[in-house]
Amino acid sequence: MTAPGTGAPVAAPTTGKARSRRRSMFLAMAAVAGPGLIAGLSDDDPAGITTYSLLGAQYGYRMLWVLGVSTVALILFQDLGARIGVVTGQGLAGLIRQRYGARAGVLSIGALVLANVGTTTAEFAGIAAGGEIFHISRYISVPVAAFLVSALVLRGGFRGVERVLLALSAVFIAYIAAGILARPDWGAAAHGLFVPTMPTTRDAIIITTATLGTTLAPWGLAFIQSYAVDKRLTPRELPFLRIDVVTGAILTGVIGFFVVIACAATLNPRGLQINDAADAAVALEPLAGRLAATLFAGGLIGAALLAASILPLSTAYAVCDIAGRPAGLDDAPREAPLFYRTFAFVTLTGVVLVLLPGVSLVPVLVGTQVLNAVLLLPLLVFMSGISRDRRLMGKYAARPAVAAVYLVVVALICVCILALGYFSLT
Amino acid sequence: MRSGSDSAPVPRNRRPRRPNVHLPASRLLAVRREVAGALVSVAGLATSPVRDLDGNEVGRLDDVVVRWDSGYSPVTGLIVRVGQRRTWLHVADVARIDQREVRLTSTRFDLKDVTRREGELQLLGDVIDHQLVDVHGVRVVRASDLYLTRVGDRLRLVGVDVSLVSLMRRIMPGHWGRRPSPRHVLDWSGIQPFGVPGESVKLRRSHDALRRMRPADLADLLEDLGRAERRELLDSLEPDTAADALEEMSAAELNDLLRDAPVTRAAYLIASMEADEAVEALREMPRDERHDVLRAMDADRRVELGALLAYDEETAGGFMTSELVRLNDECTVQDAIDALNARTRNVEETSGIVVVDADGRLVDDGDVVDQLLGVAAETRLKELVGPPWPVTVPPHADLAAIVESMTDNRGSSVLVVDDENRPVGRILADDVVDALVRAGDRRWPWQRRAGGTA
Repeated sequence: MTAPGTGAPVAAPTTGKARSRRRSMFLAMAAVAGPGLIAGLSDDDPAGITTYSLLGAQYGYRMLWVLGVSTVALILFQDLGARIGVVTGQGLAGLIRQRYGARAGVLSIGALVLANVGTTTAEFAGIAAGGEIFHISRYISVPVAAFLVSALVLRGGFRGVERVLLALSAVFIAYIAAGILARPDWGAAAHGLFVPTMPTTRDAIIITTATLGTTLAPWGLAFIQSYAVDKRLTPRELPFLRIDVVTGAILTGVIGFFVVIACAATLNPRGLQINDAADAAVALEPLAGRLAATLFAGGLIGAALLAASILPLSTAYAVCDIAGRPAGLDDAPREAPLFYRTFAFVTLTGVVLVLLPGVSLVPVLVGTQVLNAVLLLPLLVFMSGISRDRRLMGKYAARPAVAAVYLVVVALICVCILALGYFSLT
Repeated sequence: MRSGSDSAPVPRNRRPRRPNVHLPASRLLAVRREVAGALVSVAGLATSPVRDLDGNEVGRLDDVVVRWDSGYSPVTGLIVRVGQRRTWLHVADVARIDQREVRLTSTRFDLKDVTRREGELQLLGDVIDHQLVDVHGVRVVRASDLYLTRVGDRLRLVGVDVSLVSLMRRIMPGHWGRRPSPRHVLDWSGIQPFGVPGESVKLRRSHDALRRMRPADLADLLEDLGRAERRELLDSLEPDTAADALEEMSAAELNDLLRDAPVTRAAYLIASMEADEAVEALREMPRDERHDVLRAMDADRRVELGALLAYDEETAGGFMTSELVRLNDECTVQDAIDALNARTRNVEETSGIVVVDADGRLVDDGDVVDQLLGVAAETRLKELVGPPWPVTVPPHADLAAIVESMTDNRGSSVLVVDDENRPVGRILADDVVDALVRAGDRRWPWQRRAGGTA
């Protein structure tokens, strides 16, 4: 991660020029890497794994194409978010306020905060469920996780957090292993990925919307932009950042793919019903072996930890940004009180909701999913509007053709939400 | 801005505190109401009806234009939407502005097309919800609302509301959303607004207080601003002020800022910085860009910085500055004084002169005040040298060794000499303090230097 050129003389003899160029390219890439990988992979959180498990368990390989479409949308909008952050040097919340006014800004960020609190609760619920598979009480696993996550962010500083998060995202390899151990039908998987079929039932539309919504999570979009700002990337580094973003998004899709096929190969043929990712892990054990189930549950905990550190962070960035208060991992708590207070508020609320006896999390989690999906629409519209704004983006403003692609994705999500609304009412 | 509780002149410390106002709650509320009554909320004016003398609606208010200069900016005109067209209305045609409507002086007036003029700000389009610099509080804020009031015979912009309450108020519908709610109001005369990125018209001038600001505070401000605003602020500063501020920035921030600037400008800024800080900035850049920047500098500076870059950044060579006042021991005191006066760049700390022999080897390190004052001008330096002999470190000495020799020496600096005992640079106490602070900031064992890029 070190910036290039530790003490090398400037006028170094240029033997092996190509090698040194490759090396400097690699170093530049390594210095930029992070936002795309972390923001992308954190979309494979417990809610995401649950959705993908359901997609595989209920529909087998048939609806893998939905994941493909979601991944393309993720690439487009994560790239856009990162680019807006780098070019303007401002977070999404502040830009919405500046470009679309106080009402649009406060309402959308208010909804984002609410959704993020709900999603954080879902992450801690995932940690609790994952821990219980390994016979760890949630009264131990959840507070320990919350402490670890907060210590990391409060103590780590920017680089420390980034490294630990990147290391944490390695747990996702567990899903790839679990997917392979389940011995899937690769031909059927390829067919499902590239040949779209759409059952017109209410459940199929729900799972399609949920897959789009969980892959392209609103907090992920806000996060990648704030993160690119806080990381102080320059427009010169945009090509490297794009590689980072595309890699992160494709990895996200690949992991989702393996989760779907793991469930499609095992649970679907037997018609087993699951409610969440932890169920899937338990159900996998007799079918794909103990190792696959352990990997699946371990991945769940790792994914929840990653997302549980990012969500409060993303919320804190957004709140400070809209309020015009200082925010940044390199600021001390005294310099940025609102930043750290928001962080603490989101984390604590999540922990308390999960641990409070007698509180049913189902309405919280369902409400959060719906809110996230609905919130996605205005956020994507705002982002495409900002991307076209020459005043903000200068020469990096999106060309009409690119802007049209953004609108296609927005229209797709719009159709999903409308269909969902229609099916819910009838 | 004398309003309510929060608008007493803000002291020049980092974070303005709310002054203690010992008023009973009811009285405070009354004061606040009274003040609010005299203020016009600019946010609340958006889309207000603009009526002529007879009360017929002419159009809707689109924006309020002020001329920005230091002090309270006078309103120069309004932008009114008449049908689909945005038109310009001079302030002379306006009889009255209140929270409900704008009244004009006659039934006939000129409607001209809107053109941007230098030094003018469109308050709703350029200022509200945008980043501003509060130069007294030394921080970056976003304006929740702006307040106009009549000062003398002119309507002027007097205050910036930065409170969350006012931001929340604006999402309320109808009259609730339009009423002034002065809570945390900053004096407009202490605000640096920004021009419009991408437009040819810029504000150009920077606030006087920015030039007097401590470099570290200026660096904090630059770090908190968006890219376009940061560039504008930096461009408006004089090179020396800018270079001083840059020296205070964290490595990552500085890297971002310099790589964002055109190469010639970056080269100019780096060349204006102290050698050791300049080298640190250059180290952060990718090799190609570093080459470009060095090429854009004048030859002397390029050679000097290039030589410093050859040392490892964690050793004496990396900490030192190579700017030395070096004199042969045959020189006289007068020569030394001339040499000190002739220094081209402003090297603030060294009052030291390095005395070398004919081969360039170190003889003594003298302090101007201690050793040259009160000595006859024609005295030769070799007559003045003597014990205690200066403590030196080799270029590859690490931080611990430097600290040790500095504490032994009890001096404000330590000389770096090469294998032949030729002085190559000087490490100043403040650089050592910086390095120690960074080492103390280290949050994880694998970090070489915390705060910056690892």
